[in-house]
Amino acid sequence: MNPIDRRTFLRGMGAMMALPTLERMMPGVALAASAPKNPVRMAFLFVPNGINMSQWTPAAEGALVGALPSTLQPLEGVRSSLNVLTGLAQHNAFALGDGPGDHARSTACWLTGVHARKTNGSDIQNGPSVDQVAAMRMGNQTRFASLEIGCERSGLAGDCDSGYSCAYSSNVSWKSATQPVAKETNPRLVFERLFGNGDAAEQGESLARRRLLKQSILDFVSEDAGRLKASLGGRDVRKLDEYFTAVREIETRLEKFESAQAARAAAGVAAPRGIPQDYAEHIRLMGDMMILAFQADLTRVCTFMFANDGSNRSYVQAGVPEGHHDMSHHGGDPAKLEKKARIDRFHVEQLAYVLNRMKSIKEGDGTMLDNTMLLYGAGISDGNRHNHDDLPLLMAGGAGGRLKGGRHMTFEPNTPLTNLFLSMLDTMGVPAETLGDSTGKLKGVF
Amino acid sequence: MRTRGKTTIRAAALALAVGTMGMATLRSVEAAQARKTPAKTPKKVAGFARDVKAVLDAKCVACHNAASPAAGLNLAKYKTEAQALADLGTMEKAMGRIVAGEMPPGGLPTAQRTAFQAWTQDALNAQCRLADPGRVTLRRLNRAEYNNTVADLLGTKTRPADDFPGDDVGNGFDNMGDVLSVSPLLMEKLLDSAEKLAREAVVVPRLFTRRYAGSDFSGAGSDREGGLYLPTSGVASKEIRLPTAGDYRLRVKARGELAGPEAPKLEVRVDDAVVANFVVEDRKLREFEAGVKIPAGAHRIGVQFTNDYYVAATKEDRNLFVESVELTGPTGAIAYPETHRRIVPFEPAKGQEEATARKFIAAFAARAFRRPATPQDLDRLMPVWQAGFKGGSFDEGMQLAVQACLSSPRFLFRLEQDPPGTGAKVRALDGYELASRLSYFLWSTMPDAELLDLAAKGKLVQPAVLRAQAKRMIADPRAAALADNFAAQWLGLRKLAIVEPDPKQYPVSPALRKDMGTETERFFLAILQNGRPITDFIDADYSYVNERLAQHYGIEGVTGNEFRRVKVPADRGGVLSQASVLTVTSNPTRTSPTKRGKWVLENIFGTPPPPPPPGVSDIPSEAHQLEATTLRQLMEQHRKNPACSVCHQKMDPIGFGMENFDPIGRWRTKEGKFDVDASGALPGGVSFRGPTQLKKIILGQKDLFAHALAEKMLTYALGRGVDFKDKCALDAAVVATKGGGYRLDSLVLAVVTSDPFLKRKGNGK
Repeated sequence: MNPIDRRTFLRGMGAMMALPTLERMMPGVALAASAPKNPVRMAFLFVPNGINMSQWTPAAEGALVGALPSTLQPLEGVRSSLNVLTGLAQHNAFALGDGPGDHARSTACWLTGVHARKTNGSDIQNGPSVDQVAAMRMGNQTRFASLEIGCERSGLAGDCDSGYSCAYSSNVSWKSATQPVAKETNPRLVFERLFGNGDAAEQGESLARRRLLKQSILDFVSEDAGRLKASLGGRDVRKLDEYFTAVREIETRLEKFESAQAARAAAGVAAPRGIPQDYAEHIRLMGDMMILAFQADLTRVCTFMFANDGSNRSYVQAGVPEGHHDMSHHGGDPAKLEKKARIDRFHVEQLAYVLNRMKSIKEGDGTMLDNTMLLYGAGISDGNRHNHDDLPLLMAGGAGGRLKGGRHMTFEPNTPLTNLFLSMLDTMGVPAETLGDSTGKLKGVF
Repeated sequence: MRTRGKTTIRAAALALAVGTMGMATLRSVEAAQARKTPAKTPKKVAGFARDVKAVLDAKCVACHNAASPAAGLNLAKYKTEAQALADLGTMEKAMGRIVAGEMPPGGLPTAQRTAFQAWTQDALNAQCRLADPGRVTLRRLNRAEYNNTVADLLGTKTRPADDFPGDDVGNGFDNMGDVLSVSPLLMEKLLDSAEKLAREAVVVPRLFTRRYAGSDFSGAGSDREGGLYLPTSGVASKEIRLPTAGDYRLRVKARGELAGPEAPKLEVRVDDAVVANFVVEDRKLREFEAGVKIPAGAHRIGVQFTNDYYVAATKEDRNLFVESVELTGPTGAIAYPETHRRIVPFEPAKGQEEATARKFIAAFAARAFRRPATPQDLDRLMPVWQAGFKGGSFDEGMQLAVQACLSSPRFLFRLEQDPPGTGAKVRALDGYELASRLSYFLWSTMPDAELLDLAAKGKLVQPAVLRAQAKRMIADPRAAALADNFAAQWLGLRKLAIVEPDPKQYPVSPALRKDMGTETERFFLAILQNGRPITDFIDADYSYVNERLAQHYGIEGVTGNEFRRVKVPADRGGVLSQASVLTVTSNPTRTSPTKRGKWVLENIFGTPPPPPPPGVSDIPSEAHQLEATTLRQLMEQHRKNPACSVCHQKMDPIGFGMENFDPIGRWRTKEGKFDVDASGALPGGVSFRGPTQLKKIILGQKDLFAHALAEKMLTYALGRGVDFKDKCALDAAVVATKGGGYRLDSLVLAVVTSDPFLKRKGNGK
C-alpha cells in the first residue's frame, strides 16, 4: 500500500522490457502462430465531469505547432502521436426531455451513442458500446475478449444521478442494451485475472485433468441454467441469460488456457499488492496492467475509467482540496476554472505516463504506441453547462501505421462521435455499418 | 416508470411539514385509510374532468406535452379518466409535485390542490385494494450475502466476494433483482471462488513436496550460489501455499562460518511461530530435519540467524548459509477438519461409494439450494462426482460436487419458481421461499437449520410461527446484518468510504471513518433489539462510541477501542447529529446546508427534492474562506432565483439548523471569524434556532417518517422498487407500527407479514 508497490512491480517490467520482444521470450507459444505479428489494439480512457475547454483546445486547426495548451503540455513527449479532435458530439447524452442526470446519461452514452432509459431500478436500457462490438467480433483471437478497468468501484449508495441507476454512471462498457460490463479496480486482481495466481502450479496438478474437471462443472451449470430457464418467465429469464452468456464466454476462454500460462511464465513479473493509496499511483498501476495485457496479447481491447462520472474526489496532490464535481460546476468563477484545469492536467499527466510507457516498448520496427489507437476524453464538455457537443477528445497512437499524428482536427459541429467509432472499427478490421446515432464513417482521421 | 415521489402520504405530509398546507391534508389521508374496504374493481372516482383534467389543461400541458415533454413527462395524454387510471403511477408523481408546491410554477390555490389530491388518493386506494403483491425478479446473491452464505454453509473464514466487482445499486439498495447482473468478469470470479471454497471445505489429501532454494527467500541476507547468505542476524522468508493441513517433514540444508564461543543458530518459523531450532556446527553443508504441523493455505516460512558475532579487531566473523528448505507431507493420518466432516461425515466402504455420494450430495445441495434437491438435480450432479471419483478419489468427487453446487444458478440466485399452472394468479410463497426471504432480509444470509426445518414441516407459513421466527431473528446477533446492509444504505453511510474531507482542515483517520459508521450501525441495532421507537433516530439521549469517537465529540471518560453506550449531551442525539451522517453530507472544505437538508428530506421524510435544472451555477468556490461574507449570505443570494428557491427554501433551512456541526461532525460555535448562526425559517413561517429545536419540529412529523422508513424497508426486504400498487401494504405497515408504539421491531414485523412479502404474482406462463 505504498508507492514502493508500483516501483517494485516496474523493476520486474523493466527486466521484461529489456528483451527485444515478447515473442522471442516465448518461443513456440500458440499465440505467436495465430496472432498477427503486431496486432492493433484499441483503448478508451475516460475522465469524469468534463474538461476546462479553454485550457484544452489548441488555438489553431491543422498541424500541432507551437506550445500546447496548458492542460495538454504533459503530452509534449508524444506530440507526434497525438490528434486533438474538436467538434464531435454525443447527441443522445443530452436530456432530450428526460431532465437532469447528465453525468450518468453521458457516461452510458459515451461509447454507445444511445440515449439511456431513465431509471434507477429495473429495466436499465442502453446499447452495446464500441469496445464490445470489437470484442465480440475479434475477441476469440485472444484469451480475454476485452479488459475493463477503472479506479472507482460502482456506485455505493442511492441512485447515482438524478434518477439514473449507478449502472449508467459507473460503466462505459456495455455488452448489450441491458448488460454493463463490470470493471476491475484493484490492480492485484487484474494481474491475477490476466496471469493466474499460481495456485495450480503450486499444487502440481496436471493441466489436462484440471481442464477435464473444470469442463464437467461447466457442463453441469449450463444444463442446470437451461432447465431453470424453461421454467421461469418475465425478467427472470433475462437474468439467467446473462448467466448463460457469461458461462459460454468462459468456456471458450478455457481453450486458450495454456497460452496465458505461458505468458505468465514468460512475464516473470511480480504481482502488485493492492490498491495504492496515492491516486496517481493507482491510475498508473492500472495503466501498467493494460499495457501488460496488450504486451502479452491477452486482449486487444480495453476501457479504463479514471473515475466514475459525478465523482467528487478531492485532488490534494494537484493542489485542489475541494471536490472535483463541485469545481466542475464553476459558474464562470475564475478560481474554480483554474482548479478544474489543475485536475484536468493531473489526469493528463497520468495519460502521459501511459503513452510514454507504450512508446518505450518496442514492437517490430516500431513501438506499442505505434500499434495502438487510444481515445482519451470525457462525455461532458463543460462541466458547468453539461453540454455533450464539442467533446474533449484525444486520439493517440499510430493504429499500426494507419493513423498520423501531430494534428488538431476540427469537424462540423455536432458530428456524431459514433462516426469516429465506426472508422475505428474499420481500422481494427471489424467494420460495422451503424452504432448508436452514427450517420456514416468519419473521414480524414485514418 | 417512476423515479421519485412514490407514495402520496409523504408528499402530502411533507407539504404539511414545511407549512404549505393545513392539517386537513393529513386527516384526509387518514380518512382514506380508514375507509379502506376490500373491493374487486377500482372504484369509479368522481370529479376527474373538473378536479384533474381542468388543472392539467390550464396549468401543466403547456410544458408537459407530447412535443416537448419537460422532465420527460407528457401530461397531455390523459384525456379521459380511464387513461389516467391506467397510468396512476404518473398521476401520483404529478400529484406529489403539486402538493409539495413545486409545480406548477407559482403554485395552485389550496382548494384546487386539495381536490386534485383527493381524486388521486381515492384512485390509488381503489387500485391497491386489488392486492397485487408484484413479482420480484430473480435475485443474485450480492457481495455481502455471498460472503455470509458461504460462511454459514461451509464454515469458511474467507470473504471471497470482497474481490468481486461492485454490485450496482437500484432504488437506493444493492439487493435489487433487476439491477444485480452477472457479467463475464463476475462469472469468472464466481467460478473461481466456487473452486477455492470447495477445495477448502472438502480435503483431498495430496502429497506435497517442495524444495525452496535459499535464494527464493527475501528479507535479510543476500543471494549467494543459489542459496541465502546471512552475514548478520535477521530473518528471510518465503510465501508458500499448502493444499492440505497436516504433519510435514522439514529439511534444511545449511552450513556455518564459525567464530566466537558458540555455533551459528538457525530458527525456522511458520508465520510467527518458531517451529524448529538448529545449531549449525558444520562448515560443510549438512541436512537438518524436524517435524512440523501446518494448517492448509497460505503461509510464510521464515529462516532466522539469531546469534551474529563479529569482532572488528580480530576479524572473527560468525555467519550462516542456508542452501535450501524442503517440505514434504502430509505424513501420517489426515486430520479432517470439521468443515470437511459437515459434508463428508465418513468415508464409505468399497463398493458403497456411489450410493453414499448421492446421499451426501443430497444433504449438501439441500442447504446450498435452500430447499431439498430434486432427484433430477441429483441425476445431474452425479456425473460431476463421477468425474472426480474416476482417476481421483471419493473425496475428490465430493469436492467437485460441492464446487458444482456453488456454481449453480440455484445457489447463486434466490429462486422463486411458480408451479406450473400458476398463470397470472397470485400465490402464497412456500415455506422454503419464505425462509429465504426472511433470512436474507434480516440476516443477509441463508436460512438456518431451524428455519429450514420449519419450512420442511410446513409450519413456517403459519402466521404465529412466522412472527415468532421473525422475533427470534431480530434478537439474534446475525441481525447486525440489517444494520450493515439496510441501515448503512438507507442512511447513506457507505459513502463514508469515498468522501474525502480536506485532510488539512478536517483530518479523518481511516479508523475514525470506520468508527463513525459503526456508531450509527450500533445505534440502529440498539433501537431494533431493545424495542425502541423509531423516533430515537431523530432524537435520543444515548449513543455508542469508543475512545476515538468520544474524543472527536468531546465526550470524556471513554477509553479503549470498544464501543459502549453513553449518554450524549442535549445537542447531540439521533442520527442527524452523528458524525457519519454529518460527514457524508458535507463538501471536502465546508459544510453543505443544502446537502444536509436534502438528506433529511430524502431519508427522514422520504420526499427527495427534484434535481436542479441544468446549467444552474453553484455558489462561488471561495465561499469557504469566508473572508467577506458568510456561507449563509451567499446561499441566501443564491435563493433569490425563483427557479432555485422553490426547493432550496425547504432544504437549506433544515441544513442551517445543523450548522453547529462542522464538515466532520464536530461541535463548533465559530466558522472562520463568524459566529455560527444555526437558525432557520421553514416555508410557512415556522422558525427555530439550533439542532435541538429543529429536531422537535421533525419529531412532530413522525407519521411521515414512519411512512418513509416503511417504504425504504419494504424496498430492501423485497429487492424491488415499491410502487403505487404497494400503497395499501405500506399504509397498513404504518398503522401497525403506530399501533406498536412506533417501535422499529413492530415495523419489521409489519413488513414480514405484508402481502408483498408473503406472496407473489405468477408470470402468466
